[in-house]
This record gives sequence, C-alpha cells and structure tokens, in this order.
Amino acid sequence: MRSIILILTFLHLVFQSIQGQEWKVPDDKKGRLSTFAFDDNTRMAGQKLYTLNCMSCHGTPGKSNYLNLVPAPGDPATEKIQRNNDGEIFYKISVGRGQMPSFRSVLTSDEVWNIISYLRSFNKLYRQQVKSVISSTAYPGSTINMFIEHISSDTSIVVTAYAEKESSRVPVTEAGIKLYVHRTFGHQVVDEEKVTDKSGRAVFRIPEKMHGDSDGNILVSARFSDEDVFGTSSKDTVLAAGIKTIPVSLVAERAMWNNVRKAPIWILLTYCLGVIVALSFIVLVMVKIRDIYIVGKYLENKASEN
Amino acid sequence: MARSLYNTDLYREKLESVSADVLRNVRINKGFLVWMGILTISLAACLYAYTIQLQKGLGVTGLRDATSWGMYIATFVFFVATSLIGMLISSVLGLSGTKWIKPITRIAEIIAVAFAAVAGLVIISDMGRPDRFPYLFLYGRIQSPILWDVTVVTTYLFVSLMLWFIPLIPDLAISKSRLEGRPGFLIKIYEILSVKWVNHDRQFQIMHQAMRILLILIVPLAFAIHTVTSWLFAVTPRAGWDSTIFGPYFISGAFVSGTAAVIIAMYFFRENYKLQKYLTDFHFEKIGRVLALVSIIYIYFNINEFIVPGYKLKTHEAIHLKELFTGHYAWLFWGVQLAGLVIPVALLLIKRMRKPLPLLLISIVVFAASWFKRYLIVVPVQGHPYLPIQNVPVEWMVYKPTIIETSVTMASMILVLMIITILSKLFPVVPIWEIAEEEATVNEEIEHK
Ligand code: HEC
Repeated sequence: MRSIILILTFLHLVFQSIQGQEWKVPDDKKGRLSTFAFDDNTRMAGQKLYTLNCMSCHGTPGKSNYLNLVPAPGDPATEKIQRNNDGEIFYKISVGRGQMPSFRSVLTSDEVWNIISYLRSFNKLYRQQVKSVISSTAYPGSTINMFIEHISSDTSIVVTAYAEKESSRVPVTEAGIKLYVHRTFGHQVVDEEKVTDKSGRAVFRIPEKMHGDSDGNILVSARFSDEDVFGTSSKDTVLAAGIKTIPVSLVAERAMWNNVRKAPIWILLTYCLGVIVALSFIVLVMVKIRDIYIVGKYLENKASEN
Repeated sequence: MARSLYNTDLYREKLESVSADVLRNVRINKGFLVWMGILTISLAACLYAYTIQLQKGLGVTGLRDATSWGMYIATFVFFVATSLIGMLISSVLGLSGTKWIKPITRIAEIIAVAFAAVAGLVIISDMGRPDRFPYLFLYGRIQSPILWDVTVVTTYLFVSLMLWFIPLIPDLAISKSRLEGRPGFLIKIYEILSVKWVNHDRQFQIMHQAMRILLILIVPLAFAIHTVTSWLFAVTPRAGWDSTIFGPYFISGAFVSGTAAVIIAMYFFRENYKLQKYLTDFHFEKIGRVLALVSIIYIYFNINEFIVPGYKLKTHEAIHLKELFTGHYAWLFWGVQLAGLVIPVALLLIKRMRKPLPLLLISIVVFAASWFKRYLIVVPVQGHPYLPIQNVPVEWMVYKPTIIETSVTMASMILVLMIITILSKLFPVVPIWEIAEEEATVNEEIEHK
C-alpha cells in the first residue's frame, strides 16, 4: 500500500513538473522582430498557414477547442500565448518542444511572421515593433546578395553570397546557408546546411530523385541560417535542375475507381453477359406463357366450332 | 407419372375437395377489410414521418458522419435475406424431389416477393435526395456493387413473381368458375391471369418446362443477390466487414430468417384459413428440421467469422470485436447469438419442439433476432472509423436511431405485410392442383397395390 502511495506521489510530481515547466527562450532570441509591418495581407497569408499547419492541434483561435494534449497546446487568442513577445513566439514555433513540432524547416521566417501577424490580430492591446533596418552585423552598411546557379555536370547547385557597399563587392565567408525547394506542401530541404568558402560559395548536392515540373524546373530558395548575423536576405531562383515530371492523372487509365466509360473491360463484359443471360431466360419463360395462352385459345376455338 | 392423370375422375374429385377448402378463404370479408384498414392507417402515420424526412433531410435520422448506414440498411439486408427462402424451398428442395414442400411453396414465394419488393424501397428511404434515384441508372458505375445489387434485386423480384405466378395459372383457371359471390373485378383478374388455361396436357407440359427454367435460373440469382449485398460491405477495408466469407455467411444467415418467416406464415394460414388438412404437423416437423439445419450451418459460419479475426486480433479488428464481445454491443450480440441461434437449435433437436405451436414461438424469436443480427453487422463497425474525427458532438460519433427513422422502418414492414395479405387473401395460398395431383397419385398407387 505504502509503495503504491509513493509511486502515485512520484507520478504526480513528474506530471506536475512536465505541465508546469516554463518554456524558456534564450535571451538573445527574445528580442527578434519582424522586418515588415503586419497588415491585412500578412494576416490573411498567416491565417492560411495557420489553418494548414496549426489548427489541427491549436483549434480555432478564440474557441478554446485545442486538442487535449499534455501539456495543452493552448488557444492562441488567450493570455497563455499572447503574453509572449514576438521573439519568443517566433522561437517557440521555430524550435518546438515535446508535442509541439519544430517548424524551422517547414516554414520560412517570413511565413512564421505572417502567422504571428494572424495570431496578434486576436490581441487588441498589441502594438507591433518593427526592426527598421535589414542589416547584417557581420558586414555593417553592406547589402548582402545571393546568386544561385545549377552546375549540371556534377549535379550540384552553387550559392554565392557577396556583400556590396557602394561599388565594392566582397564575398561573404563562413556563413551557414540552407537551400530549399518550394513544394505544394511546404519546403523540401536540399542537402544539409553548407558554409560558404573563401570565395563566398556554398555547394549543395542535388538528391537523386529531384522531381521538377513538366520542363524539369524547380523553384529554389537560399537563406542564411543565422539571420541575426547575416540578415534576412534570401534569393528565389528557378533552375532546370529537376527531373521532368508529367503527373499522370489517377483517372487516366481504366480502373475500378474510374467512371463507367473507363471501367475495366472484364467487369463490363461480365456484367453485361450476366444481364443478357438472365434476361434471355426470362424472355424464354414469357414466350412459354404465351404458348400456354395460344394452346388454350386454339382449344377454345375448336370447342366452339364443334 | 402419366400425363393423363389430369383427365381422370379421381383427379377431378380431389380437385373439387381441395379447391372447396382453399377457396373458402379467397374473399373480401370484414376481417380482411378491418386488417387492411389498420395496416393502411399505420402506414399513413409512418409515411407522415417520411414526409418530415423528405422536407428536412436525413438529419432527422440518427445517421451522421461516422455511422452513415443504420437501421435502414440493416432492414434492407434483412429483407433481402428473408426473400431468399423462395429459392431454398422451391428450387433446392423442389428440384431435389422433396414432396412435402408442395403445400408451402406458394407461401415461400409470397414471402420472397413481398420482402424483395420492399427491399428496394428501403434503399430509397435511406437516400437524402430520393429524387436522384434515376441517376443510378443514368450515371451508375458498372464497377460498383451498388449497381450490381440494384440489378440482381430487381431481377430476383421479377423471377420470384413468375415463380409465384406460373404454378398459380392452373389454380386461377380452376377457381374462376368457383368464385360466385366474389367481387366482379376479382373474377375478371382471374380470367385474365389464367391465360386461357384449359388443363390440357400440352399446357401442363409447357408450364413444367417454364418452371424448370425458372427454378434453375433462380439458384444463381438468389446466390447473386445476397452475395452482392454482402459485397456492399465486404469490398470495403473496414475491420468487421473486410471478410472473405461474407457471401456464404450472409446466405446461410438468410436461410435462417427466411425459414423462420415461412414457419410463422404457415402457422398463421393454418389456423386462420383452417388449412390443418394441408399444413399438417408432419409439415411443421419437416420444416422444423430445415430450420435446425440452416441454423447449424449459420452457427458454423459465425464461429468462422469471429474466431479467425479473434485469434489474430489485428489492431482495428480487436477494437471492433471487443465492442461486440464485452463492450457497448455485448448484450445485443450475445442475446442474438444465444437466444437467436444456439438455444433454438438445441430446442429444435427435441422432437416435441417441432410441433406447430412451439415451433412458431421459436421462429418468432429467431426471426426477431435475425433483424438484430443485421443491425449488428451494419452498425457497430462504423463506430470506429480509420480516420478519427475530432472536436465534434457525441451524436456525430455514436449512432442512435430516432423515432422518425424507426417509423419509416416500420412503414417498410407494414408494406411487406400488406403485400403478403393481398397475395394470400385474393389468391389461393396453397397450390390446389398440385395437392390434388399429389393426393390422386397416392390414391392410385394404393389401388395398384
Ligand atoms: C502536433 C500538435 C501541434 C501543432 C501542429 C502545433 N502545435 Fe503549437 N503547441 C503544441 C503543444 C502541445 C504546445 C505546448 C508545448 C509545451 O508547452 O511544451 C504548443 C505550444 C505552442 C506555443 C507556445 C505556447 C506557450 O505557452 O508559450 C505556440 C506559440 C505555438 N504552439 C504555436 C503554434 C503554431 C503557430 C503552430 C503552427 C505553425 C503550431 N503551434 C502547431 C502542439 C502543436
């Protein structure tokens, strides 16, 4: 009995500690701000993303119909989430914890900010602070640009980053870069994070089955992984680096699930044959009934003649 | 047997006595009118419920996202099942030369016709937009078991109707001159339907040919209708329906409910129509054995259907089986299996229990249990969808039939009773000529000895 009580107390403590644990965000991440101002467009874009990625657990904001998980996801319209500052929410969405997934490689930072813009629309007291300058601490005063090219001979994609200030141009070195391909559902990460070399180049290997559109084109984006240091500049480029893919419609061929004109031949034949055989027997029987009538009529006539 | 039997005095004599007994009941009397009146009023009340469903949609039933097939489809399966008895009695037993079935073949066909005819209507009651019923024929997919089902059920209905009608032709001819005092329209119908039957040997010959074709055709047809009905379930990957033995499982179960229905009808006609001379204790004894046999076969299929997934307990099967064995449906499940199958079989093995009255009581229990069995096949499976839904009201997940739904289901049962009443009250319920033939043959044989 005593041991049961002990176990129960222990479980209770464990449970409490999981539930009550504060979700600490590192100090240097707390101050992060969006580089653009939230408006109706960002809010609407955010709502779409929220419905796709978050609603299944967090429910509709304001309705408190989130999933019954431990710890609870919480309703984003409530104090529990709104008391976080922008940097904290950004961090929590990006990193995740326990059942809350990490969205770092699923959403770009702009997309996360769009979601935050949507979440903040439920908070009347919220006043947005915007980070005014897009600058990098490593190359102060410069504009950082990226250039993406596809080297078909060794199936790789090369990203070159350089910092421009007035007319001078220097390569951005030792910067971590991530490369994504835009897909219908989220982003596909290409290779791993790469660090730029002395000439500002990072080389990504294209995986074997990289599907492109019908011309083999893919839309790729490059980003710095440490945007605090190198800024949020990014580059979207269409490259002919994928396999030409012409999607085959599931209803293109004859199949069980297709419409009747594309039904498998064997089933059309079997069905029609069955119906014809049954019908012909039925017709045969009807003819027999007619025969009975004809015989009767004949006998009747004969009788009346006599 | 010589064809000329139909011209002997003995046969005519027998015909006279049998037709007197049978035709006594063919009339529109007060009892008939009162009974039809009660049925019509109840039907009207139930159809009122249907008009509500028509106006407001299927939301007035208990059907929701999770359980979209409920009482209606269970009743549909039950009706199709019961109608199979026509095939078992007329064809399987008839073609194998079983003599004692002669007086009950027509009762079996009446049941087949009535239940098959209403089965189709039950499907329409399950439709949210019955006005789109013609779409089934306009845009139906031949790959879909639903279309096969529509095809075979209508064909089966038609062939059963012919199986009832063709052996009736000689009776109509015999009766039409003996119907004094009946309404003129009835005599007129007899005249038309008897297709100039004059008891000629050639006509008998043609009729026997036609019957043989139908009796053979009805066997694959009956197997098809209930196998296809089982495929409506078995071709889906749901735990509890995803079974390879659903065809024979359904067919063997069909014979149980059909035989019970025939026994109930036999008892009723015997007592009400005073047909003790033709539906004797001997017939009850025999059909009681048939009920025992088909129930044992059904028990065998039940064991198969539950032991095999029960031994493996695959994740979803386990959830479903637990619900049946010890969960929400446990009372109903064990009630149906024990009171509707095991105990009846045990009782039927005792000779005394195959006397008319005990057999009637057993059959009523078996018949009712058969309906609940269909409910258990159709409904519980849907309570555990593979794709669970969240944040929805309980009624969306847990099926509970509503009063409107129950009334509409009652309407279909009342319709069955009406069809049975009309077919059995306006036409001879046992085949006059066949019984006369049988009695004459027996007498002749005795004389020969
Ligand atoms: C699989 C379910 C799930 C999904 C999907 C999900 N979350 Fe969460 N989320 C959780 C859980 C569980 C917690 C609580 C985690 C904890 O406290 O350990 C949480 C916590 C959070 C927090 C922090 C709450 C606090 O108390 O500070 C935020 C902000 C958040 N989620 C936003 C989002 C956003 C935005 C999305 C969509 C991009 C999302 N979540 C998708 C389950 C989910």
